[in-house]
Amino acid sequence: MKRKQFVCLEAGCERVIEANNDEELVRAVQEHVAEAHNSFELEDFILAGATEVDCGTTGPPP
Amino acid sequence: MHKEVDNLKKFHFTREMMRGSVYRKYEKAINALWNPRELDYSKDVEDWATLPEHRRAALLGLTVRFFAGEQAVAENLIPMIQAAWALDRFDWLMYLSTFVMEECKHAEFFAQWHERVAGILEPEELAPYFLERAATVDPTGRFELREVVHEGIPRYARELTAAVDTEDRQKIERAFLRFLTLYNAHVEGVLTMPSYEIVVDTCTAWNALPALKQGYRRIMSDEGRHITFGTSAVRTLLDDHPEWDQLVHDVFDEFRGTIVGLVEYQKAVPELDLQKYQVGKVRHYRNRCREMGVTPDETLIEQILDPSIDFVVGVTAG
Repeated sequence: MKRKQFVCLEAGCERVIEANNDEELVRAVQEHVAEAHNSFELEDFILAGATEVDCGTTGPPP
Repeated sequence: MHKEVDNLKKFHFTREMMRGSVYRKYEKAINALWNPRELDYSKDVEDWATLPEHRRAALLGLTVRFFAGEQAVAENLIPMIQAAWALDRFDWLMYLSTFVMEECKHAEFFAQWHERVAGILEPEELAPYFLERAATVDPTGRFELREVVHEGIPRYARELTAAVDTEDRQKIERAFLRFLTLYNAHVEGVLTMPSYEIVVDTCTAWNALPALKQGYRRIMSDEGRHITFGTSAVRTLLDDHPEWDQLVHDVFDEFRGTIVGLVEYQKAVPELDLQKYQVGKVRHYRNRCREMGVTPDETLIEQILDPSIDFVVGVTAG
């Protein structure tokens, strides 16, 4: 099964976030960027930077 | 037979085009229309009346810069449409029609907010708050700070227009790549993103000006489409010309000084944690490089993160 993956590129972070679809990925990345970096990532940036992966490993917690 | 071929050229829609990512951005833009005149400015008017003068001046240093910037970019979009037409990219042309409208609408939002809330709109009322980029200095002398929005983008736009006039496809693609890199990746995609966040954070910190905050959030949502259109178009052009990868870095290099430090208007609200915006700027730069399919310049990242680079010296307004 394909999953969506996004790597946070904040300096020193590089957390890997995975989700089952675009909507879940956007929500998960936005939560991560808000909690870990007190910032926000736009939906279009997340979708433009996302890749499809077969199976994934989620990175360390923020 | 000849006439039939000619008639085929009159139609640009294909199922493949309508499934494409650029066409979907057009659809998203149409579905996301908003009207600056429908925002409720009444609380902002109340807040403005009680805002201390130093805070008003600090905020206007940001908003007036945005107001001028939105007008400047709107004025320089026509060459992109010309180039899309010259390259037979009707999907790009369609999306760019929303892009132009949105930049004009962003300028209108700033007109509405400045007129209704701050009570200033005429050029002579706004100009005193415009912080001059020329007055920003790098005390180490390592970097030159150039006026990217009001000098760089118009110059690149003229280069793109000249390339379209040659009708030479490769020259058009090359000039288009440079323009997209400067406008969408550098200016919109890296330089300006911290500024949006600074205004939103300022409104949050002061618990004031909800219409300004809402307007900025709406604008940022539009900008997300603009930026990722530009970076995906750069990637498309690089797919055909991988040897042009260096052109992207050359554009960033030309305006390196503008991006490595926070410039004067970005430091207008001193109570904010400015280092956060520098770190975030690296994220935006690396995101843009990922979208374009370009390897980030690590020396640029190191310079952005270098706390010793601080440009705000001798700022003057007006």
